[in-house]
Amino acid sequence: MLFASCAPETCARRTCPPRPRPAGHPGSDMTAHSFALPVIIFTTFWGLIGIAGPWFVPKGPNRGVIITMLVATAVCCYLFWLIAILAQLNPLFGPQLKNETIWYVRFLWE
Amino acid sequence: MGSLFRSEPMCLAQLFLQAGTAYECLSALGERGLVQFRDLNQNVSSFQRKFVGEVKRCEELERILVYLVQEITKADIPLPQGEVSPPAPPLKQVLEMQEQLQKLEVELREVTKNKEKLRKNLLELIEYTHMLRVTRSFVKRNVEFEPTYEEFPSLENECLLDYSCMQRLGAKLGFVSGLIQQGKADAFEKMLWRVCKGYTIVTYAELDESLEDPETGEIIKWYVFLISFWGEQIGQKVKKICDCYHCHVYPYPSTAEERKEIQEGLSTRIQDLYTVLHKTEDYLRQVLCKAAESVSSRAVQVRKMKAIYHTLNMCSFDVTNKCLIAEVWCPEADLHELRWALEEGSRESGAPMPSFLNIVPTKETPPTLIRTNRFTEGFQSIVDAYGVGSYREVNPALFTIITFPFLFAVMFGDFGHGFVMFLFALLLVLNEDHPRLTQSQEIMRMFFNGRYILLLMGLFSVYTGLIYNDCFSKSVNLFGSGWNVSAMYSPGHTVEERGRMALWNDSIVRHSRVLQLDPSVPGVFQGPYPFGIDPIWNLATNRLTFLNSFKMKMSVILGIIHMTFGVILGIFNHLHFRKKFNIYLVSVPELLFLLCIFGYLLFMIVYKWLAYSATTSREAPSILIDFINMFLFPTSQASGLYPGQEYVQRVLLAITTLSVPVLFLGKPLFLLWLHHGRGCFGVSRSGYTLVRRDSEEEVSLLGNQDIEEGNSQAEAGCREVTCEEFNFGEILMTQAIHSIEYCLGCISNTASYLRLWALSLAHAQLSDVLWAMVMHVGLRVDTTFGVLLLFLVVAVFAVLTIFILLVMEGLSAFLHAIRLHWVEFQNKFYVGAGTKFVPFSFSLLSSKFSCDDGVV
Repeated sequence: MLFASCAPETCARRTCPPRPRPAGHPGSDMTAHSFALPVIIFTTFWGLIGIAGPWFVPKGPNRGVIITMLVATAVCCYLFWLIAILAQLNPLFGPQLKNETIWYVRFLWE
Repeated sequence: MGSLFRSEPMCLAQLFLQAGTAYECLSALGERGLVQFRDLNQNVSSFQRKFVGEVKRCEELERILVYLVQEITKADIPLPQGEVSPPAPPLKQVLEMQEQLQKLEVELREVTKNKEKLRKNLLELIEYTHMLRVTRSFVKRNVEFEPTYEEFPSLENECLLDYSCMQRLGAKLGFVSGLIQQGKADAFEKMLWRVCKGYTIVTYAELDESLEDPETGEIIKWYVFLISFWGEQIGQKVKKICDCYHCHVYPYPSTAEERKEIQEGLSTRIQDLYTVLHKTEDYLRQVLCKAAESVSSRAVQVRKMKAIYHTLNMCSFDVTNKCLIAEVWCPEADLHELRWALEEGSRESGAPMPSFLNIVPTKETPPTLIRTNRFTEGFQSIVDAYGVGSYREVNPALFTIITFPFLFAVMFGDFGHGFVMFLFALLLVLNEDHPRLTQSQEIMRMFFNGRYILLLMGLFSVYTGLIYNDCFSKSVNLFGSGWNVSAMYSPGHTVEERGRMALWNDSIVRHSRVLQLDPSVPGVFQGPYPFGIDPIWNLATNRLTFLNSFKMKMSVILGIIHMTFGVILGIFNHLHFRKKFNIYLVSVPELLFLLCIFGYLLFMIVYKWLAYSATTSREAPSILIDFINMFLFPTSQASGLYPGQEYVQRVLLAITTLSVPVLFLGKPLFLLWLHHGRGCFGVSRSGYTLVRRDSEEEVSLLGNQDIEEGNSQAEAGCREVTCEEFNFGEILMTQAIHSIEYCLGCISNTASYLRLWALSLAHAQLSDVLWAMVMHVGLRVDTTFGVLLLFLVVAVFAVLTIFILLVMEGLSAFLHAIRLHWVEFQNKFYVGAGTKFVPFSFSLLSSKFSCDDGVV
């Protein structure tokens, strides 16, 4: 098939230089994502908007409306992001990829 | 807190307007738009009210103004639209204005009539000239056709024009000449032939230029005809036929000199007529121009006057005091301004005694006023479309400002589409004051009124699009995917691991169509993508399996939180109306019911996310089955989600089962106990009587004073009212219905929130199909031909995106978001049985002339 000749040993494409893999290392860990860091960042971000923001709204007839809007936005957006990240925290199954996609991902993303 | 949370407190006031100042006071009130008048003369027919004559006069003036506007627009004179609207005219000026307008109308009508007459005259003369010219050529032509005149002696050329020779033959040769319309010419000729049996000779010629028909005003083609006949009777018949076909008949000159004379006379007359006509048109134009300057401001003034008289008709006339009494609903915050307006009106009219007001305690439900600005107006109108809030109840619009666009965005979530929607809304918002937009019609008007809603919807859709990682159905890889394909290959693992797990190598990959990554293999899954859905899912064939599970759970979580929030808002209502028992007997059982069942479901979802991973995936129970088993108590209990689950579930079920009877019976029994135990409680249910001060001495003594103790008097009066009949059966029935509705509604409403999942799935799939079928085709083609094809493909892609994905899906998601708010959220706390406060304000009068204001 299309990629039959593009084995890592004989690959001549300039975009996929075969990287020497030391044994024991499970692969590139450049994309290892921690869980704590995004949680801290986003909690602080939406916390600033939802909890600290209301103190800085100038007095006026619309103060109540603006405060409600800030708090509601912070709650909704934070909740939505949290659901998205919690759902992916411990996946019970993985993505099913076509073999072409596997080649592509292997050589372009890693 | 802004007044958007609750409607404003209102009071009922009586205005005492002195006879001379009533008009000016109402004018001042109308300019400010402060109060709503109540109709005190409801059983009086509209023709018997006091100010019917004045209203009729206003209508007469309006009629004249409409006629003027018609004439002005017919003459193509521009009407200046004034920015400032003038106040209603004082009574002294009204008579003068009326005279002016009537004189103007009479003059206009006369001048127009004269002009018409002159024009008709001119047309006739022009036709006559044409006819003379053309028939002259007939006669000249006929000379060549000598054979037709065989019976007559040959005449010399000059004598031919002298028709008196013909008389020698004993038969009188007559001529009828004139013009006939092109369409009727054939029928005319046939009729003549049939009737006169060939004793007439008809000659035709078409007129080159089209002339105007004086009756209809259209430009049509005419035929000039000349009929020559012998004998009187035939002459009569011919004349009758000419009449019948509406021919324009003109006298035919018998001699050449006569013809010349007539022609000269005609040309001078035509010249004169042209000059007169021009002068008349100039004069008319002058008059209209002068009128155009003031006609729009006059129209506004007349409309305001009419509105004032309509309102005066609603007041009752207190004969003994010689003043008008009006009852108005006024927001308490505006009482001061109301007093000031009355003073101003009294001052303007120069009356000796000023008008004043008097606050009246009442038990009737006032109308609901919620002050909005142009941003909050759209959201308030969404809530009002369901039902205007009851007096002083919590207004859901305040929260709808954010939750509505958010729920829309959950169903619409696409970064690209959201951004386009945001840009469109931004365009509308930045050009708010553009006149073309403010006066647009129908569909464009709807989009314009909802521009802030669209703006927020677009913004939130951008955010949810980023979280769903969906931009025109493609994902972006910003932070690097958390799934590592290389780790699935054997070389990266120890021998022992290779034995345990199914790992890949090149030949396996080459020969299998699809392969699934296994998160239990170390190194394959390296942590959740920090912002949104991992981009690798866009490349996966089992994408929907993962997304469906994620979106369903997300919908249920959002729904339960939304509904809980609704119940909590109900608590605020109970606190405000000082019915604390409602909190303990209604709101708390409702909350317990909701949270024990669905809050527990929420807990199970989050627990499963946190506690179970790929290594334990074989034992991960299905949440739905566990949830159902909670109620069924199956004998063979498979291992639950967490240790001690059975015990916890039993406790929760017990709480739920206990809260249901409390919800059913708690409030009716409590009210029954109060009724018997505490005596007269004055339960507020049915209609009330208006408590009114009608002692006249008190009225004249009070004058301009406010009744300081008005509010507390109202409460004392409340307790003195004889208690209404306490209908236990009805209360019990109402509460039972409410409870059943609530309990069953909890389940169905939670399931209803799954539409968030359904619509977002539909949107994603439509977007995907559009890409695969349209854009993908264009991008796969070879470069030489592909560049041209890509133009076409991108155009088709853009058009389909806008119409199908933005308009159709947008409307669909909008509708479903509205449904979720109106039904699932609002039926937890909102009653919506109020009436809207409509103040007497001149700015609410329509800006165009409307013919549907009746006589009164």
